[in-house]
Amino acid sequence: MKYEHLYVVMEHEGGKPVPVSLEMLGEARRLMDGYNKRYNANEKVVAVVLGNNVRKLCEELVYYGADAVIYADSPEFEYSRNVVDTKVVSAIAVDKNLVLKFSPQSTDFVKPHYMFFAADNIGRQLSSTVVGTLDSGLASDINKLVIDDLEIKHEHKTKGQPVMYERTLEMYRPDFSGFLWTTILCLDNRNPAIQRDYHPQACSIIPGVFAPIARDASRKGVIVDYTPTFDPGDLQVKILSRKIVKSAVDFDSKKAVVSFGRGIKDSPEANIRLVTELAKELNAEVGVSLPMSKKPFPVSESVSSTYMIPDRVVGTSGRKVIPLLYIAAGISGAMHHLAGMKESEFVIAINPDEEANIKDESDIFIKGRMEDVIPVLIEELRSVKPAMEVRK
Amino acid sequence: MGVTGSAMKELNLAVIVKLEPDFSEGNVSYNADGTLNRAETKSILGPHSAIACSAAFYAKVKYGARISVGTMGPPIADAALAQAQQICDADELHLYSDRLFAGADTWATAETLRAGIAKMQGKMDIVFSGHRASDGETGQTGPQTALKLGYTFLGHVIDYEVDMDRRVVRAKRLITLQGFYDVIEEVEAPLPVFIAIDPSYKPSFNTVSQRLAYEKYQKEAKARVANYKQYLKVFNAQQLEVDPKMVGLPGSPTIVYKVEKIPKAKASRKTEVIDGSNRAELRRVAIKIHEVLGGMVIK
Repeated sequence: MKYEHLYVVMEHEGGKPVPVSLEMLGEARRLMDGYNKRYNANEKVVAVVLGNNVRKLCEELVYYGADAVIYADSPEFEYSRNVVDTKVVSAIAVDKNLVLKFSPQSTDFVKPHYMFFAADNIGRQLSSTVVGTLDSGLASDINKLVIDDLEIKHEHKTKGQPVMYERTLEMYRPDFSGFLWTTILCLDNRNPAIQRDYHPQACSIIPGVFAPIARDASRKGVIVDYTPTFDPGDLQVKILSRKIVKSAVDFDSKKAVVSFGRGIKDSPEANIRLVTELAKELNAEVGVSLPMSKKPFPVSESVSSTYMIPDRVVGTSGRKVIPLLYIAAGISGAMHHLAGMKESEFVIAINPDEEANIKDESDIFIKGRMEDVIPVLIEELRSVKPAMEVRK
Repeated sequence: MGVTGSAMKELNLAVIVKLEPDFSEGNVSYNADGTLNRAETKSILGPHSAIACSAAFYAKVKYGARISVGTMGPPIADAALAQAQQICDADELHLYSDRLFAGADTWATAETLRAGIAKMQGKMDIVFSGHRASDGETGQTGPQTALKLGYTFLGHVIDYEVDMDRRVVRAKRLITLQGFYDVIEEVEAPLPVFIAIDPSYKPSFNTVSQRLAYEKYQKEAKARVANYKQYLKVFNAQQLEVDPKMVGLPGSPTIVYKVEKIPKAKASRKTEVIDGSNRAELRRVAIKIHEVLGGMVIK
């Protein structure tokens, strides 16, 4: 077949895989096991790794579900450079000789059938340029995947005629509101006027969504060494320095997180102050829902630049937090947000709307407006504190 | 540094921008189910596009530059161009508008933008875009346009300088390595480059001469915006000389197959509902909070 196998582009830091790499492999394994059974096929999960001294990582990737690992090892891959990595990953993806090493029957191979990337700072951009180089399409920020045969009738793709697209990857993408799910398909043009193949069917996958499979050191796979060639012009792009920075926002070392959302709307400035006062009382970090980072309310510059920032977003577009206590004030609970906080040990929501999604993720749901609830809650926290200290 | 020679010629900059829903309160409208009410929501120059404009303006103030701004969109998207001109004192505004462009995915959009940038005056040294659109949020159009232009793509840029003699850009990029840490990486690349600017970018103008230039160009921008149509060129598909098969819906590898409401997840916790106007109840919550944080609650 011209289009075969599922390629998964790995990311790692100094040879240690970033979590989403293993998550992608896990989902790829589950999908292809189902696929091979259903279609009586033998398509592989192929991990692609660029790095410096990454041979050992390749074995790990087999233990985590890869049938084959294609790796390119060079000091040039110490740190990711989009222009360099794009060409090498694209070259690997169309190299039939590599495929024949793990799938000898793939003599007609042209390009991968499917391709996964991480929807993170590196993968989102690498996916765009690699899939562009392969002249195909991709969906970003996916959190559900299905492979199925679909009958499609489309003005352009099929010239309005019903056409069966077999083995099509349905890529589910939550929209920015977190309430709508859009399914994206990447389809060959079967309309004779614009005839064109679009493979691989590719996407970037949101970190933290899929579970990796359990590590199994008895799993066997084929590890294929690829020798890259570099364009000297591209190597003029140089990483001069690299500094690890700590965000001013520190969710990880705090026992509690207090987040706010659109519920601040009636008096934004005063409500944010209430939330921060509550956070201070609990020694908690302050989080926000995604819409807050778009600065939807007029507030003072200092409040805006301190709180309504992407660094504080809890959810799939921001950070995942797992504190002992999570308080969601005026947050309705879009899927984005829930994914970022639902593993918290104890959850309290403050919301006037009992129908809000956040309720089902809460241990305690305080029905009420935050401007009414939080001042009383702070008073009570202070008043019961001495007694609680004694109990400790 | 020598001030003579062709190496010191001013920069040619392009900014690609987008008209987006205005998410600010009073302008944004949500349906009862939490989704965006597009009909009732106003449109503005996207906030990330605005940051890209201020990044281009920085180079104009610091090095001297000619700036062109382009957008693909409906005829009303010229409003976004005017807002962009206000920020970066653009010399040239481009609107790529044609029914043939409609419904484009990121790859087909990149084709239109590539063709548009080719129509701008002069060869571009740097093309700027925002980090991503506030509505689509794919972040794919920038890198794909860079690829089509054959420019080095630099994303997440929080700061940059241009070495005018060597014609290289030095940029700082903020990258989050999931599960590890954030890094600030300093990268050097020969011009031309494509820069997707990070939301945290803030230009600063330190010297007196920069501040004077800043004020001069801001004044100029104000005057230009009053007559922005004079700077505006509108292109349809034919005028852009794009292949109609490569743009819009016919040129899009991907389609939207269906849109559905995300089903409510199964309740994962046993929820106790408390009346927020009852002080005694809130006292109970306060005790619970102390217990949880004191490690006295084992679930």
